[in-house]
Amino acid sequence: MQKQRITPKEIINNYGATFAFIIAIIFFSLTSQGFFSGQNLQNILVQSTSLGICAFGLTFVLITGEIDLSYGGVIGLVGAVLAGMLKEGHSIGMVTLVCLAIGLGSGLLNALLIVGLNLPSFLASVAVMFLCMGAERIYNQGITTWVRDPEVLSIVQSSVGPVPLPVFYLFALFVICWFLQTQTRAGQYVRALGENINAVKEVGIRGQLLKSAVFVLAGLIFAFAGYIESLRIGGAVMYAGKNLLLSVLAACFLGTATFKAGKANLPGTLIGAFFLYTLLSGFTGLGMKFYLVPFAQGLILIISVAISSARRGKIEQVQF
Amino acid sequence: MLGREFFRDQHKETVVVGFFFTRVLSMGTRVMIAFKACGDEMNRPMGDQENIVIKTERVSKSFPGVQALKELDFEVARGEVHALCGENGAGKSTLMKIIVREYIEDEGDVFIQGQNVRGMGIRDVQELGLSLIHQDLNLVPVFSVAQNICLGREPRNRFGTIDWKATRQKAAIFLSEITADIDVDDLVENLSISEQQLVAIARSLVTAPRILILDEPTARLDHKASDSFFSFLERAKKGGLTVVYISHRLEEIYRICDKVTVLRDGKKIMTSKTNELPQTELVRHMLGREITRQVPKETVPIGDVKLSVRDLFPKGKGEGISFDLRSGEILGVVGSIGAGKSELARAIFGADPKRSGTIAISGKEIKINTPQDAIAKRLALIPEERRDQGLVGNESVRKNITLAALRKKFCRGPSWIDRNKEIEAVKESIKSLGIATPSTEQQVQFLSGGTQQKVVVGKWLMSDSDLYIFDEPTKGIDVGGKYDIYKLIVDLARQGAGVIFISNELPEVLTLCDRVLVMFDGQIIKEVQTQATNREELLFYVMGGRDYAETANNSKRDH
Repeated sequence: MQKQRITPKEIINNYGATFAFIIAIIFFSLTSQGFFSGQNLQNILVQSTSLGICAFGLTFVLITGEIDLSYGGVIGLVGAVLAGMLKEGHSIGMVTLVCLAIGLGSGLLNALLIVGLNLPSFLASVAVMFLCMGAERIYNQGITTWVRDPEVLSIVQSSVGPVPLPVFYLFALFVICWFLQTQTRAGQYVRALGENINAVKEVGIRGQLLKSAVFVLAGLIFAFAGYIESLRIGGAVMYAGKNLLLSVLAACFLGTATFKAGKANLPGTLIGAFFLYTLLSGFTGLGMKFYLVPFAQGLILIISVAISSARRGKIEQVQF
Repeated sequence: MLGREFFRDQHKETVVVGFFFTRVLSMGTRVMIAFKACGDEMNRPMGDQENIVIKTERVSKSFPGVQALKELDFEVARGEVHALCGENGAGKSTLMKIIVREYIEDEGDVFIQGQNVRGMGIRDVQELGLSLIHQDLNLVPVFSVAQNICLGREPRNRFGTIDWKATRQKAAIFLSEITADIDVDDLVENLSISEQQLVAIARSLVTAPRILILDEPTARLDHKASDSFFSFLERAKKGGLTVVYISHRLEEIYRICDKVTVLRDGKKIMTSKTNELPQTELVRHMLGREITRQVPKETVPIGDVKLSVRDLFPKGKGEGISFDLRSGEILGVVGSIGAGKSELARAIFGADPKRSGTIAISGKEIKINTPQDAIAKRLALIPEERRDQGLVGNESVRKNITLAALRKKFCRGPSWIDRNKEIEAVKESIKSLGIATPSTEQQVQFLSGGTQQKVVVGKWLMSDSDLYIFDEPTKGIDVGGKYDIYKLIVDLARQGAGVIFISNELPEVLTLCDRVLVMFDGQIIKEVQTQATNREELLFYVMGGRDYAETANNSKRDH
């Protein structure tokens, strides 16, 4: 079997969004004053943490060939409970456990509905999202709660040397997730499951159980994202998850255009998350009117996805 | 079909537990099975039974609407290569899937190496040394060859993560075992079908099986790969491997198998030593008694040559195919799975690019590169997967029927549809084809299989086709529906159309067609007039037999 040579065209097609990202950075550095300053780049990184973390969870689910939008509710609910419980004087350790328990619960509920009852994952997870939003509303009565304890806030709002803690969390989680997905058997089987469920069945791997575990893992990661988000902004705003809903989805799908054309993957998702905030920050820095920014973002996304999907003629669609 | 199995699986998994809990659970099951194995070891009867490695006792299995297996007894002795034969739907694959625990029998018992496997899972019987190579290639396309071969059995390093170097080495070892020259780092999606099949075979060897079950492994292998695969089997047999071999190819069965068991309609018909059973006898056992003709044969006058295919090399399988089709003629094309029938149909219709060859209609050579070209030349293909390829399921009967002819017949101006004219025409074809639909607006997905087939035909009639290729048109259709389709095809022939009728059901081919082409391994190996042949001869050729008359005479002399 002869090795195929990789042509420059293939590289562009495979890493299209990555190139678009690099070009965007160069463009903004040249045109927008202060874009390429350490402070601004740090801001971009910090802003994209909760989005990135949450997107890791979604990426795992996408790899299995399903989708999970419950983070849209989980993030808000975790934030509300965190702020509320701290106000009532509970210890931060206790609060952290409860937050993770919320993620675990929503993950289990997703697994029960999607794997156990065989409901379509899109609908089931949206239902779980609404349930969480409802619970959030019931819990905080629609009132924004702030966290004021500086010690608690320092969990997220401080730095180790030059590295802000949220960025540290983001990269640490990335390394853990990436390792789990690419270097362990379970991670392999998750990918195999999404590609050909019969291959997994044939070798005697319990695919349904594995899928359930992925939903639980995703739930925990969503909760962690909510936890970080809430402490980063210093409180619980109503429906915090709703704002992230589409950006997280966009980051993941942008990731499919970044590496391994067409397949959800963690490095791609990470770059996708940075890309989204780079655009936001860059266009704002250029003095673009705030109502034009989404328009510009949309255009850039179309271009970067279009050039990378040229190879197969299409980006693989997730089956909802 | 898998409904019940799937349901059962689902509920097993409803109890969702974390990673660690399941680890503990599965360890528990393993310990229990080990204990059970010890117990069975002590209770095992001595003597002749010792040598029986697979044994089924009165195994029955039904799927909704089908009794797949009926009280089946089946035995395979250690070290033998045992062929399993039967027509499509005889229950071969079902039996094998029960043996490897992919399906669970409704009644009866299965013993592997003397142990009752009730309650065991796929992995447990793999531990007993059993491995099945499926008819379908269940590979992960985006994984490398090495990843696929070691899937589920990846070597791990001391940190518990996958040892990639060892994985690649392990894969290379099993590939060299079957003398397959494939790079372990290639992605499976970039391999040829034959190479993919070799990867699937290599994967089944990873568990170091002592019993190997092969479900039509050579249907996808090219000649060179087949040869090296057989020499592997011969070597492995000497090493004590037991093989159950499902095949539709006489040559292979007689080349490597010691014994042969014939299944028909879910029952075991007979088991015999291969060298004591003439080939024609085997074919006769597979068919059973001749079934009376279902459709009255109707002779239609046959006209001039309409379609000439010369030296056609379709994409994938198929070599140097040449034949003529006359108007009013129904030409049967038969052959087992992987013989290249659908590839031929798709190549003629322009649905796949062909490697070479010419096609002429009414003596004039034409170029068909896309289905649009074919439609313009009044060709019609009624594909095997009509739901996917022939119909828009959630659209109405009307829209489906007029789909291909809309612009040509029912448009005023650039794209203004003449609705009245359209409805009029659709009503007419509903009447003439006997399409059982409550109205022209009924969604086709709610119609029966046979009725859907008629809608597809109606679509092509509407666009004035006069060359029809039917690819397995009666697959999954009830008896009444089949009869209607036969009648329809005869009608088309009477109107002067030429029809190519691809089918795996020999009786219908014999009753319907004037002439039959037998395909084997991508080539037309035989052409017979239906009047001058019978099912046995036809099946003999479908299975790759050579020279029926002589073989039959020899066997008569022997008895």
